Amino acid sequence: SHFHLDHCGALPYFSEMVGYDGPIYMTHPTKAICPILLEDYRKITVDKKGETNFFTSQMIKDCMKKVVAVHLHQTVQVDEELEIKAYYAGHVLGAAMFQIKVGCESVVYTGDYNMTPDRHLGAAWIDKCRPDLLISESTYATTIRDSKRCRERDFLKKVHETVERGGKVLIPVFALGRAQELCILLETFWERMNLKAPIYFSTGLTEKANHYYKLFITWTNQKIRKTFVQRNMFEFKHIKAFDRAFADNPGPMVVFATPGMLHAGQSLQIFRKWAGNEKNMVIMPGYCVQGTVGHKILSGQRKLEMEGRQILEVKMQVEYMSFSAHADAKGIMQLIRQAEPRNVLLVHGEAKKMEFLKQKIEQEFHVSCFMPANGETTTILTNPCIPVDISLGLLKRETAIGPLADAKKPKLMHGTLLMKDNSFRLVSPEQALKELGLAEHQLRFTCRVHIQDPRKEHETVLRVYNHLKGILKDYSVQHLPDGSITVESILIQATAHSEDQGTKVLLVSWTYQDEELGSYLTSLLKKGLPQSTP
Amino acid sequence: YRDLHTFELQAPTRLIEWARGSRVCVAGYGQSDGNEILQLIPPPTLLTKETQGLCPERDFKVECGGFSERPVYSLKYVPDTSLLVTSGPPDSSLQVWQMSAEDSDVIKSVSPIATENGTGQSWSKITTISARAPWVLHGSRLDRVQITEVESRKNVYTAASGGSEELSSLAFLDCNTLLLCCATGRLCLADVRQPQSLVEAVSAPSAPCSEHWCMGTRHGAQGLEPSSQPVARLSSKGLLTLTDLRKTSEFLALAKARVPSPGSGAEFLCVSWAPALEGCLAISGFDGTVHVYDTQSWDSSGREAEPIFVHKGHAFGGAGGSGDPPLVTVHTWHLQKPRTLLSAASDGSLHVWDWVQPCGKC
Repeated sequence: SHFHLDHCGALPYFSEMVGYDGPIYMTHPTKAICPILLEDYRKITVDKKGETNFFTSQMIKDCMKKVVAVHLHQTVQVDEELEIKAYYAGHVLGAAMFQIKVGCESVVYTGDYNMTPDRHLGAAWIDKCRPDLLISESTYATTIRDSKRCRERDFLKKVHETVERGGKVLIPVFALGRAQELCILLETFWERMNLKAPIYFSTGLTEKANHYYKLFITWTNQKIRKTFVQRNMFEFKHIKAFDRAFADNPGPMVVFATPGMLHAGQSLQIFRKWAGNEKNMVIMPGYCVQGTVGHKILSGQRKLEMEGRQILEVKMQVEYMSFSAHADAKGIMQLIRQAEPRNVLLVHGEAKKMEFLKQKIEQEFHVSCFMPANGETTTILTNPCIPVDISLGLLKRETAIGPLADAKKPKLMHGTLLMKDNSFRLVSPEQALKELGLAEHQLRFTCRVHIQDPRKEHETVLRVYNHLKGILKDYSVQHLPDGSITVESILIQATAHSEDQGTKVLLVSWTYQDEELGSYLTSLLKKGLPQSTP
Repeated sequence: YRDLHTFELQAPTRLIEWARGSRVCVAGYGQSDGNEILQLIPPPTLLTKETQGLCPERDFKVECGGFSERPVYSLKYVPDTSLLVTSGPPDSSLQVWQMSAEDSDVIKSVSPIATENGTGQSWSKITTISARAPWVLHGSRLDRVQITEVESRKNVYTAASGGSEELSSLAFLDCNTLLLCCATGRLCLADVRQPQSLVEAVSAPSAPCSEHWCMGTRHGAQGLEPSSQPVARLSSKGLLTLTDLRKTSEFLALAKARVPSPGSGAEFLCVSWAPALEGCLAISGFDGTVHVYDTQSWDSSGREAEPIFVHKGHAFGGAGGSGDPPLVTVHTWHLQKPRTLLSAASDGSLHVWDWVQPCGKC
């Protein structure tokens, strides 16, 4: 879903060592940035920590060759049945939420996302795709975050205090993301406070960053896009390119340098020069992998062993400021409201069950909410819709019958469902018979009703006719010349009983379609004829 | 400010209650059903005495929560139990809740405490104590004051009637003495051991137009006679009176706070004493600010008093410019850090702030 190591760190292992050989999809920025982080990660783990069972640089290259990059909102057909679509997730450059669809069943996996925009990224967004299941991160669901303003204010305060007392501030950054944001922040602050201390960023950082921003400008937010059009991303009034020699200059300064975890390169070089002075400060803006200097000093270590068994004593102030954003409870509710899933599954790291959040989601959205533990299997029942094509003729005919179609109420229609070769069609019965080469059968019921009447047949018929005409006022009752009676399409004929002249046998005959009227007539006639009939 | 942290709750709260283990409780009071009660763990920065640097843990965490079908106007933990009691419209009954065991984070609703619901009754004001047993003192009006034993639901005390005025708050001065404050400003004392003993301590201040009053009592430091702590009363027009309950014939002090007029009603009037600063109190409920005063320089002249600090954060916080400016609904003092307060407003904001005394003794 994005280039953070906790999401892509095992990809080369998976494809090159475990043997996964299926397709690999990610967004364009992720594809561009992943390999850099993976290579850094590999270098630290193998060269610094001495891991042996780890993927190699070549494996990273081979893995990335297999990657297919996707655009936002582009439906990608993985095979005849499986489709995927990426949605903007905020969080970091290129982060996406993925919808995975087979037929009309779908799952949305969010990865890490953020519902509030920040200085360089927009907020996550998804349409009302109504997936059967939404899998969301919920580690930060229980946090109520302090405002960005307060964090930034504290960051600026720390930098300002250090610079005011003549100290130097080192901010190790990864080329993308927060570096840009922090630069904008400092530039504005320096301008407002009319500060003179120099701010630098290392050139490696600016080249790479500019390059990526140019490539992926559509992934950033509106404000960044506007300023980028006007000027170079790293063209600031108060921030200049760094030269190695500047690190030895006396007096206060602020330097942004790569790499972000202090594990090699320029940021580590500068750190070694400045660590011994307690007037200086290093501000770590994010997570550091175990084994890096960044990780060690954040854990509280103040004596570090460098190459050649040299011990470095860290007297400078070590601060940690995380600006990375995840969705809180409010954000999760917002996403659920946008996507309208039928079920929700929360992924979390808490041992304690988050019953409260589960109930909150279930009550508000009337959906089931699951929170399985690692290794646990959850079964979710879906109600798949099966799409059926209806013939135009049938549709026209059925909509013409009965009350007018109402967009809000379902209308009952009759037709024949033909299932052939994975296609479903609804057609009229006549059409179905024709297609199947079958003849239509007519179903006709006949019932004999015995009536006590000694008179002649045609007199009995007349009696029956008058009787029915009197009762069935809303129906068409006719006395035909051939001596039979019709009630709508039902036929009644009278014959004499073969053995008993006093009994007449009425033959009542009706088609399947007139079942109801037919049975009604039969029971009516069974009651007998009234005595006084003209 | 020495420090200022701003947070946004999903729904505004009109109560902030401290619980065991430095927990803080807030609850929704909106009109629709589905109000949440949230017990929060404050960030470590607020729990330590020294102000930390750029500490990574700066957020409140929801430790557990419950769902209330009615708006929650008042909430009190019942000491020595895992229960809490809430009250709110539409009637004067009390809802009782059980904090869950270790494996769940839901605060469950338990059967309510019913009260006589006469006509014209509003929601009950409540306070709790655990002396002889866990008790809740509650009442919406002066003639409906009772003490109920929370676990057994037995009524252990009913106050004699002293009138039918609406109550604005009540407090235990010690395990036997009750102090009741009416909305008219009248203060009454009662002794739990003597059911007929309701006594008017301070009469309602006479005023041409009806003002609404509320009170703030000091949680006395150990060993001090509770009734020696002055009781503060605040009116909806900004009048502040300090009374010594041992000598109620005259005010200890009388002052006027500078508040906007016309006022925004008496719904969220709040006055409280600082637990760790002698003579300091805070008021809120008039607008988007919280005022802190040093009462040690006050006399009985009723002059306008100058606050030693005004927290204006809520007035500037707002995301959008639309709608009414936010109104501070409640404030409370941190129990250990002397100059730290928490305040909440009608836009859902929750602020934690610590001010620097420019000069002087406070």
